[in-house]
Amino acid sequence: MTNLYHNRSAQWIVYALMFAFLAAIPLITNDSFLLNQFATYGVYGMLAVSISLSWGFGGILNLGQGIAFGLGAYGMGMTMQMQSQDPVSNPIPPFMLNNSLDHLPALWSPFQNTALGFILSLAVPTIFYVFFGSLMFRARVSGPFIAIMTLAMLTALYTLILDMQPYTNGANGIAPPAPLKLLGAEIDPYSVASYWIVYGALLFVTVASKLITQSKFGLVTQALRSDPERVRFLGYNVASYETIVYALSGLIAALAGCCLVMLVQYVSPAQLDVNFSIGMVIWAGIGGRFSLIGSMLGAFLIQGGQSYLGDQFLATWLLLLGGFFILVVRFLPKGLAGLLELSLGMIGAHMQPKDASRPQRGAEATSKAEA
Amino acid sequence: MGVLNIHNLCKSFGGTSVINDFSLEVTELTLCCLVGPNGAGKTTTMDLITGRQKPTSGQILLRSDEITSLGEHEIARLGIGRKFQVPAVFRDLSVRQNLEVAYSREVSPFKNLFSYRPSGLNQKLEEILTITGLGGRVETEAGTLSHGETQWLEIGMVLMQNPEILLLDEPVAGMTEGEIEKTVGILNELKRTHTLIVVEHDMAFVREIADVVTVMHMGALLAQGSISEMEANPKVREVYLGDPED
Ligand SMILES: Nc1ncnc2c1ncn2[C@@H]1O[C@H](COP(=O)(O)OP(=O)(O)OP(=O)(O)O)[C@@H](O)[C@H]1O
Ligand SMILES: [Mg+2]
Repeated sequence: MTNLYHNRSAQWIVYALMFAFLAAIPLITNDSFLLNQFATYGVYGMLAVSISLSWGFGGILNLGQGIAFGLGAYGMGMTMQMQSQDPVSNPIPPFMLNNSLDHLPALWSPFQNTALGFILSLAVPTIFYVFFGSLMFRARVSGPFIAIMTLAMLTALYTLILDMQPYTNGANGIAPPAPLKLLGAEIDPYSVASYWIVYGALLFVTVASKLITQSKFGLVTQALRSDPERVRFLGYNVASYETIVYALSGLIAALAGCCLVMLVQYVSPAQLDVNFSIGMVIWAGIGGRFSLIGSMLGAFLIQGGQSYLGDQFLATWLLLLGGFFILVVRFLPKGLAGLLELSLGMIGAHMQPKDASRPQRGAEATSKAEA
Repeated sequence: MGVLNIHNLCKSFGGTSVINDFSLEVTELTLCCLVGPNGAGKTTTMDLITGRQKPTSGQILLRSDEITSLGEHEIARLGIGRKFQVPAVFRDLSVRQNLEVAYSREVSPFKNLFSYRPSGLNQKLEEILTITGLGGRVETEAGTLSHGETQWLEIGMVLMQNPEILLLDEPVAGMTEGEIEKTVGILNELKRTHTLIVVEHDMAFVREIADVVTVMHMGALLAQGSISEMEANPKVREVYLGDPED
């Protein structure tokens, strides 16, 4: 009856082990290129956690996570760009001059202040998600339509950023000339420091998300993903629960966007590319969307596969990935994490033959112990 | 005036009228059985009370407050709990999790983000597990329960909510004789502290629990009174109970 997979202490141990392993990476290697690449994996990890939270735990099939990711990334790009401009002698970024703007647009001026820039990078996408989410969830838009609406919104935003050439530099994107400066120090994207920043962000995001899923809030979202109607009759305002879980996932994606731009010193509409957002859902689907860590490992696995095998297989890589996804969806609806759950369940059942012969008493004993 | 008052309720779905000028007054701390043939509009009446459907016209008052225009979750918070005709439990959650979700004393999402062990939960959980006899099944996934156990779980969920008024739509459908007997005991215990409206086809069960029986037919009130009055009523015999001489 008892499955180690569902044991909370065991879960926390697995998380601790994974983060211990990730912490060991900079001790093992000092190849700065590799460190930078691993740090980008941390960004993917955050995105996977955000999808697991909204789709796995909240039942919101969110195909437009690039909205928050992209807005966060642009916010960070703008902040870093303005760090290189002098407010008095040279306030206008070069690409704007090329687009014959003769003053800094109002949209950009708050980003002259780094702290305000950070705050806006996180707050704007989150607030956007609150509005867009409450619009959808109050109208009780059902699953497939949420997928369509988030996708449509992502495409609209992508087009908008592409079209606002003078403000966003269109398809060329924004490439801040210098790395991010934090408290007077420059954070070299290829340094151990930037790895630790992303590590810290991922750790924070994962622990916070894990705590959320274990809270009463998390339990209510898990209930409403299968039957929102029933949850309403228990007295919960379903739309506000959905909006909050959606906005929290947006906040995480925005943070991931900030981290990415810190690491690559570049932001472009590619961050809002539809394929990338759908890719995030595939990571979670394969890794196991009901598990934060499963989704994260799914992201590492697939992005790793893409960068190491993708070069060899080229076009067939997408075909392989698609086929793999179909197989997982068909045979493992809970992803690879579900496979682990199944195996641990079978091992658990095997290890306790005595309990199986008298399930009633055994189960009662555990329920008493836990209560 | 009763605790729940329904005045001249009408509901039509795209022209077909399902509830026709239905009025009902439910007295506090009584158990009212709502009976009637299939399609009489019993479930629809519950839908209207709990806000799942909005009436075409008419009023529903909780004491003297109009609740007709409120949302489902607001009505639930006012103390009206409901068990559905088709048992509605969260199939992929465990029995314990189902009951924990139903323990909705605190409904604010912000407070619940930081809530792990709501106060009073364990005590209530123990109490409900004892009443429903699901103590040995707490860690079982609700989707794998038997039909009777699922009914029990949903009754347990309504009890976890601790409502003032309980609406139970066919609570003993699919239960064994023994299980029905146990339900009778619980409902008779509950009506000392709660007001209940129970929809049920099983007349033997109705006889055991009902203080008042309300018979609906084609969306309207046909008759109301004690169980023996209803069984003697020729109109009720004709449309619902079936004349034994046939
Ligand atoms: N959403 C709906 N749209 C159209 N017609 C509906 C709807 N809901 C119920 N009805 C109709 O209203 C009538 C009353 O249905 P209701 O479910 O209330 O009956 P009931 O008394 O609960 O019957 P039963 O004993 O079979 O559960 C039925 O004829 C049904 O077809
Ligand atoms: Mg019915």
